[in-house]
Amino acid sequence: MTSPKRLSQEHQRSLERRLKAGDERALGELFDLVAPWILGLALHIVHDEDEAEEVVGDVFVQVWRHIDQHDAGRGPLVPWILSIARNRSLDALRRRRRWQRKSAHLDQAQQVEGGDIAPAAPHEATVPGWPVHREVHAALAALSEDQRRVVLLSYFEGLSHREIAQRLHQPLGTVKTRLRMAHQKLTEGLRHLKDWVE
Amino acid sequence: MTDWLGMLATPRSPHPELKGRVLARALAPRWRWRGPLAAAALLTLAVAGGAWWAYRTIGTLTSERDGLVARVEALEDTVASFIHGPATRLIQIPVSTGGRVGSVTIFADSVRHRWLVRCDGLAPNASDQAYQLWFITDQGMATAAVMPMDQDKPMVMAVEMPRGGGEGGLAEQRVLGAAMSIEPRAGSVRPSGPMVFHRLL
Repeated sequence: MTSPKRLSQEHQRSLERRLKAGDERALGELFDLVAPWILGLALHIVHDEDEAEEVVGDVFVQVWRHIDQHDAGRGPLVPWILSIARNRSLDALRRRRRWQRKSAHLDQAQQVEGGDIAPAAPHEATVPGWPVHREVHAALAALSEDQRRVVLLSYFEGLSHREIAQRLHQPLGTVKTRLRMAHQKLTEGLRHLKDWVE
Repeated sequence: MTDWLGMLATPRSPHPELKGRVLARALAPRWRWRGPLAAAALLTLAVAGGAWWAYRTIGTLTSERDGLVARVEALEDTVASFIHGPATRLIQIPVSTGGRVGSVTIFADSVRHRWLVRCDGLAPNASDQAYQLWFITDQGMATAAVMPMDQDKPMVMAVEMPRGGGEGGLAEQRVLGAAMSIEPRAGSVRPSGPMVFHRLL
């Protein structure tokens, strides 16, 4: 088993500086570090291997061309990249939904509603960022079932508050309250994640 | 902090070739828009050029049309004044040039002091010659017009009759007749070439 690579905050800053300077090797290093997470996230949202790989490509193109838009003062590099990946994945999902509203892919995607997020298998522990993965899972597990459900529908399916309320047959105000409470708990639980450590 | 939720998903090791593909795509020169942009620029240029050309052409044609309209109106006016003028005399003179028989028709308007001359069937001139029309006056021959004729087709022109006298201090010239001779291309002060016709009115 190879030992996981480390991506400290300093390492992220260094990578970011090199990317902004146009260092192409830095992009390769970034790929080695975060591509497994981007691919995993995209795959979880779009449920299609080819589309997920397309999203990975889109994300790295955007990162390379728009790295100047990342404000290091507002947060680390990795969450910024993950948010790009999520948005790209949801865009792909929405495009597909428009054309294939009744596809089998959606049936699979809706399994998220049931809390189909499981921690990675042990062999994935070699992937850089593994400890963060565990931390985030722990923070999610600390939420109530209802809160977890609305968070997952919002994050992985990109549903609006109203759509979540319709999906869960809950009042809109209840959904908003659950999401607000969940975000507060997650923010509190992940506040210490300023670094990405082994 | 919810941005970290992206790491909830199970990481997936990408296929080995994906890295090469992704990096090649990201690092590829951004030429994608240059082709379409260049095409759009060329198209814009072509459209603008076409519009400019059309504007210029329309302007030129409009100007030519206006000029032609003015000339036609002037000609109509001239012809009408000759035809309908009560003081107009019509003189038709048979002529023979280059072995051909033709005619010179003169509408002489003594009120407006103008002649309208139509020449039919005149042989075309040599390249260094021209027909020259003369007024026969009581003071001698006065040039009326030089008419180089290069094509075998009728010719019409209006000429002003000599008035003389008055302001110029010259004695009044009375037109007694008309003559036509073949002269050098630039015309002559006095008839010097073969006479086509000489006719007192």
